Amino acid sequence: MTVSDRDLPDTARPPAEPTTRLPGDLDMWVMILGDLFFFGCYFVAYMIFRARSPEAFAAAQQHLNMGIGVANTVVLLTSSMFAASAVAAARSGAVRTARRLILATGACGLIFAALKAVEWHQEISRGFTVSDEFFSFYYVLTGVHLAHVALGLLILGVVDRELRRRQRVAFVEQGVLFWHMIDLLWLVIFAIVYLMR
Amino acid sequence: MTTLSIPRPDKSTRTVVLVWAALTVITIVAWRLAPGHADSAGLSDGLVAGIVVLAMIKCRLVIRYFMEVRYAPRWLRLATDGWLLVLWVTLLGIYLY
Repeated sequence: MTVSDRDLPDTARPPAEPTTRLPGDLDMWVMILGDLFFFGCYFVAYMIFRARSPEAFAAAQQHLNMGIGVANTVVLLTSSMFAASAVAAARSGAVRTARRLILATGACGLIFAALKAVEWHQEISRGFTVSDEFFSFYYVLTGVHLAHVALGLLILGVVDRELRRRQRVAFVEQGVLFWHMIDLLWLVIFAIVYLMR
Repeated sequence: MTTLSIPRPDKSTRTVVLVWAALTVITIVAWRLAPGHADSAGLSDGLVAGIVVLAMIKCRLVIRYFMEVRYAPRWLRLATDGWLLVLWVTLLGIYLY
C-alpha cells in the first residue's frame, strides 16, 4: 500500500509553496492604482506638449540641476529600502528596529523635500518660472509629487504611532506601500523630466 | 557550536538591500548615459529608448520587490504590469513620433 499525500498528517507534509497574498489591503491598492492612473495621464499630457515643441523643451531642460535630480532619486530609493526593511522588522517582531527604520525613511523624505526646495529656489532665482511651458509642467509635476511626499511623511508618523501602540503589521505594510508609490512616481518623473531631453 | 548560533541574515532584508543596490546602479548608469549638454536636437533615439528601458526596469523592481507585488494575486500583477507597459510604450511612442 502506498502512502499518498492525503494520508500524511499535516505536520509531515512538505512546506507548501507561499500562496499569493495582497500586501497591505484592497483600499490602499484602489488608492495607489487610481493615483498611478492619474499621474500616468499627466505624464502622457506632458509628453504630448513636449512633442509639440521639442526644441524649446530640450533647451529648457538643460537648465535643470541634474546633480540634485540624481541625488534626490538615490535619497528616495534609500528611503524605500529603509521602509521595506521596516516591514520585515515589524513582521519579525523587532518593533524598535522597525521604528528606527521608519524614522530613517522619514528623514530621507525630509532630505528629498529640502533638496527640492533648494532646486526650486535655484530655478526661480534664475528666472525660470511658470511662464515657460516646460517649467510650468516641471513645477506642477514636482509640486504635486512633493505634496504626496508631505502626505507620505504624515502617514509614516501614523505608522510610527501604530508601532508604538498596537503593532498591527498590516497597518505598517499599508503605510509603507504608499511611500513606495511616491518612490515609483518619482522614478518616472526623473526619467521623463531630467533624462529624456 | 558557535557557528550555528550566528544569526543568518534575514533573507527578505538581504533581498531589499540587493534590489536597492541594483536600483542605485541603474540610476547612475542612466545618468551617465544622458550627456550633460545635449544639442538642441536632443538625444539620439537609441539613447532615449535605453533610458526608457532602464526606467521601466527600475519601476518594476520597486513594484515587484519593495511593494511585494511578486507575491500578490494575479489581478494586481497584471494591473501593475499593464500600467507600466502602457505608460512607457505611450511615452516613448510620443517622444519618438
